[in-house]
Amino acid sequence: MLGHFAIAAIETLANRLISLAPQVQARLAKVQGQSLVVHVRDWQQFISVVYASEGLMLQVHDAQPEYSDCFISADTDTLMKLKEPSRLTQLIRQHKLDIDGDIHLAQAFSQAFSELDIDWPEHWSQYIGDAPAQLLWQAVSQGKARALEAQGKLDHILLTLLQDELKVSIHPLELTQFTRQNRQLKSDVQQLEQRLDKLLAQMPMQQTRG
Amino acid sequence: MKEAEQKTTHFGYKTVAANEKAAHVADVFHSVAAKYDLMNDLLSFGIHRLWKRVTIASSGARKGQTILDLAGGTGDLTAKFSQLVGDTGRVILGDINDSMLKVGRDKLRDRGLVSNIEYVQMNAEELPFPDNSIDVITIAFGLRNVTDQSKALASMYRVLKPGGRLLVLEFSKPEHEVLTKLYDIYSFNILPKVGQVVLNDSESYKYLAESIRMHPDQETLEGMMKDVGFEQTSYQNMSGGIVALHRGFKF
Repeated sequence: MLGHFAIAAIETLANRLISLAPQVQARLAKVQGQSLVVHVRDWQQFISVVYASEGLMLQVHDAQPEYSDCFISADTDTLMKLKEPSRLTQLIRQHKLDIDGDIHLAQAFSQAFSELDIDWPEHWSQYIGDAPAQLLWQAVSQGKARALEAQGKLDHILLTLLQDELKVSIHPLELTQFTRQNRQLKSDVQQLEQRLDKLLAQMPMQQTRG
Repeated sequence: MKEAEQKTTHFGYKTVAANEKAAHVADVFHSVAAKYDLMNDLLSFGIHRLWKRVTIASSGARKGQTILDLAGGTGDLTAKFSQLVGDTGRVILGDINDSMLKVGRDKLRDRGLVSNIEYVQMNAEELPFPDNSIDVITIAFGLRNVTDQSKALASMYRVLKPGGRLLVLEFSKPEHEVLTKLYDIYSFNILPKVGQVVLNDSESYKYLAESIRMHPDQETLEGMMKDVGFEQTSYQNMSGGIVALHRGFKF
């Protein structure tokens, strides 16, 4: 029941977004009535997606539905990579992705939502007026830019930390050089020891002579 | 006299003549039809929408199929099926009660769902369709109102195509004793009062609570489905068994 509740919430949100983006409706109209089934391997769930006259219909199934125009099986990480068509072959060869049916259907859904471009100030202006809507949009845009900048800095810090961390472990070449230097030092110490022994051996003789 | 005694049935906790139950049930639904959807949302806290989603997900409905939404009432399931079967399929919204059919028809037409939906007033015990003509039959919260449930199930079996499936979504028996007690308190004390406040009709909701208690439990209903020929029968409890979705196939 929780899965159905979650998918109902996602369906409502998706349909709200679609209603605000006429270009998405136009793109999805081309695949109206066709059924895409996605098997999310790490969730062990099958999700069917159909774009119909009243909008997107999402359903969650415990078992694979008997019929679909396109069936995709992958884990969530792989599903995120499907935006890049050039990687499909590689993912299939790595057994990270199974596709049965018309892949263009999956790409049509993916493309429609990845190019979602909603004129938010236009929609907000109906509720709060033009000027406040524009100001709100600017504030949101600036906030988004700052968030992206902060994320970039955080990523950089994390990367630096990880690289510094990597220096803790010795590179093989460093180890070879260290071993070589250690051997040299050992050899020098041995030579010094021999010289010292030799000198010490000469000392009683000089004392005897004196 | 003996024959008259045999031809009785229950209407809630009352015993009525079998040939009068349909009229009693009709009175209930004439009374609640106008605010049926509102009451469903109020009394189930909106959860009936999730129960119906599970039913649709279990139906396997697809393009080009013929689907019968029996006791379809205000057309919640029909609306979804209409979109799944597309222009090449058709959905028949069937109900014995013309008030419910009218509310359903108006609602669906207002939503622009007109091209593939038919509205038929029908008795589930005598379905007016040829043998082997329907792909999927659903009956949601309707079977307990039918006078002769076994006869209705047999009629559904007759009209289903080989490979077709029946889905019965109905109130059932809660799985836990504590839930049963809470559910009883809710059903017999709160349900009729909400009915009184919203519809000025507590009797219809008293009947609802009583008819649920008189309805066969999960195992019994599954047995009844098997008895008329359904195969691979199963049921899925929802909300702790307050509602169960039974499924059976005709092969």
